Amino acid sequence: MTEPRSDGNEQELPGGASRFVRALWGFDVRVRALPPTANEFAARRPRFLASNLWLPASPLLGVPGSYTDYLFAACAHVSAHLRFGAPRFLIKSLKPAQIAIISLLEDARVERLAAARYPGLQRLWAPYHRDARADGAKTSLSLLARLARALHDDAYVDGDAWVSKGRQLFLEGRSEWHDAALCRRVGSALGNDLGQMRVQFNAKDYAVQPAYRDDNTGLWQFEQDHSEDGSPLESEGVRRVESEDPAPKRRERGEPEAARSRDSSASRRASERCTPATAGVEAATRYPEWDYLIRSERPAFCTVVERSVTPGDPARFAAALTRYAPERRRLEQSALRLVDRRPTPIRRLLDGDRLELSAAIAAIVAHTSAATPDPRVYRRVRFRLEPPALLLLLDLSQSINAVTSGGGTTLLELARTASALLATSLSSAAPHLAIHGFSSNGRHDVGYRRFKDFDQPFDDGARARLAGMNANLSTRLGTALRHAGQALAARNSRRKLLLVVTDGEPSDIDVHDPKYLLFDAKQATIENRRRGVSSFCVGLDAGAEQSIERIFGAGNYSLLAQLETLPRRLAQLYVRLSA
Amino acid sequence: MSAEALDAFRIREEPYYLALADEISLFGAAYAARLPVMLKGPTGCGKTRFVQHMAWRLRKPLITVACNEEMSASDLLGRYLLEDGATRWQDGPLTLAARSGAICYLDEVVEARQDTLVVIHPLTDDRRLLSLPARSEAIQAHPEFHLVVSHNPGYQSALKDLKPSTKQRFGALEFDYPARAQEIEILMHETALPEALAERLVSVAEAARRLKGHGLDEGISTRMLVHAGSLIRQGIEPEAACQMALVQPLTDDPDLISALSASVRACL
Repeated sequence: MTEPRSDGNEQELPGGASRFVRALWGFDVRVRALPPTANEFAARRPRFLASNLWLPASPLLGVPGSYTDYLFAACAHVSAHLRFGAPRFLIKSLKPAQIAIISLLEDARVERLAAARYPGLQRLWAPYHRDARADGAKTSLSLLARLARALHDDAYVDGDAWVSKGRQLFLEGRSEWHDAALCRRVGSALGNDLGQMRVQFNAKDYAVQPAYRDDNTGLWQFEQDHSEDGSPLESEGVRRVESEDPAPKRRERGEPEAARSRDSSASRRASERCTPATAGVEAATRYPEWDYLIRSERPAFCTVVERSVTPGDPARFAAALTRYAPERRRLEQSALRLVDRRPTPIRRLLDGDRLELSAAIAAIVAHTSAATPDPRVYRRVRFRLEPPALLLLLDLSQSINAVTSGGGTTLLELARTASALLATSLSSAAPHLAIHGFSSNGRHDVGYRRFKDFDQPFDDGARARLAGMNANLSTRLGTALRHAGQALAARNSRRKLLLVVTDGEPSDIDVHDPKYLLFDAKQATIENRRRGVSSFCVGLDAGAEQSIERIFGAGNYSLLAQLETLPRRLAQLYVRLSA
Repeated sequence: MSAEALDAFRIREEPYYLALADEISLFGAAYAARLPVMLKGPTGCGKTRFVQHMAWRLRKPLITVACNEEMSASDLLGRYLLEDGATRWQDGPLTLAARSGAICYLDEVVEARQDTLVVIHPLTDDRRLLSLPARSEAIQAHPEFHLVVSHNPGYQSALKDLKPSTKQRFGALEFDYPARAQEIEILMHETALPEALAERLVSVAEAARRLKGHGLDEGISTRMLVHAGSLIRQGIEPEAACQMALVQPLTDDPDLISALSASVRACL
């Protein structure tokens, strides 16, 4: 149900499609691949519902030209519906053939309007019409395709009376092209004619022609279909192309409820089907644990379970952040300095890579005019390193819920504000910052949550996840350090920094020897260092100094006497550690 | 500085400029009040052409400096040169303009480092002084001297911006791409394209401008349209000309290139 991001089940579509629609009309569509069909012989057609657009993820059989051209033709057609389309038609008492013909006329209507604005679109669509030939059989499939061509191409000649009548009615209605009612009127009449001609129309065999046009699902309002962008439903006359529901079933990792509710109802229904025990579980990873008594690792001993976060109100930080305006400014500036990778010349050096011409001339001028020349005539170019990858790892065990001695706020609230402050101010370095948290419930269940991951922007979704942060259970620090260390080690940065915020000694329900988890955490820190990940700890409990120093080493930690200073302290630390 | 040398900076023929709003009268008033002017706007929308046009209108020499990161204060002010074992002072462009009463135009001023630009500060307030530390000299600017700078706020504005103390010395005129009808007129004037084709090229530019912030840093500028038009005048097919002058220079992203190419085909 909840497929991992890297699963690859959803095929990639060339990314130019949605941008093409935006370039043409200035609005955004969401382009996705049609899921694979159960019946591979069924004809695949694009489909749209509101601004969601599904396109075949591979070339269609027998469709001329390149696959990319086909995608753009389909996008241009669907976006013409979105730009010039009317509210969806009601089916009422229409017969399947009438529905198909009205849809066909509506296709032609919006294409004509779009082509009036962008004349080149006609050439984009033309190649797909060439299969409709005037000498074709008098089947409904052939006649409808010929009518489509006749409405598209004024130069096309077709002797068939029904096709000619359709074209004539459509062109005579030119002054009404702005109004979709024309299509309903003409289409109903043409549908009746088709019936009187005794031409069979079989809705089950009908696929919209030409192939770049959508399957008309987005044009009709079905009685059962209540939601505006709900999943496409089967209806007589409009043949469902896929047996699979093309509505998105994928859930982004930790995607907030707010964002998901915009998605189709299908995904809502799907997520409700999840049992609470499996909801939001992404993946479980096992790690060894160090046993100081046997001086050896217990292999695959602990299990990290990645969980998604129930989002909260993304606006909750606004007030807290204004309190830290000076820190924000400093952080923003340091982030800008960090992402600024331009090589900077350092001038006026006693020694350097190159002679600085103007300084050299000035020195000779000074010499010539019997003044003292300035000997600093060299320059050097400094190349800046990539910003460090920073992972902020928050201890989210039960004790973090404690109210601070100053009263009024909890450690959790402070940790949340501190994370929001960092992430907001470092938005220009956002790809290099991750905020994760953990809490454990025995060695089989070390819960791990990603509030903001690397390469993710700090957007409303991430803000909502931070706002939904809560704390419970215990602190199996070593396992969390290994998991975070692995995430950091995978980054392609020169410097990798793991910043841990914890309130004291590691502990868990299934461990009674207080030294056991402490030595394991120390071991995890050493392993991380071997992988190029340096660790730094911010301790929230002055009483835990000994154990924190044990784990992270002298100089690699900082204890907060006043807990209220946590956001400030984290900001200062970032500036210091990343300099 | 001799009058002949300054003559090289005079603009003899009227540079074509289509007024988009009241910018000509505003600039004229700013010049009369000797208020330094900052021209803001995206690249290729006509800022430099406007300055040339105004210099021609006001019958003033125009000294242009294209600013860059490597530029130092002495590149603006001037420096001593060695000549036959002796030293000779050479005025920089800003000094030359201030002495002789020309319009000095610092193009893309944010590209210069901020500490370099501080030299214009005494020149741009009521003192109108330019100090030359190397010569231990301060020169009073010529009464007709005027300073104009341009910058593009949309581009890398977070990293490159002017100091508030620099910005506040200027009056600013904001430029944008011309409205559709005006852009068609400009294109027809600059490239002698037929109106129908000029319209279509402008449609391409409008489509690309909708992608600004959606993968593109900047849309297709009027200047790029003029390039495409001149290629078409050379006998190149419009689609190929658009590829060469509009699509390919704008981006290297294959998805964007395909989206832009499809837009070109849709417009032509």
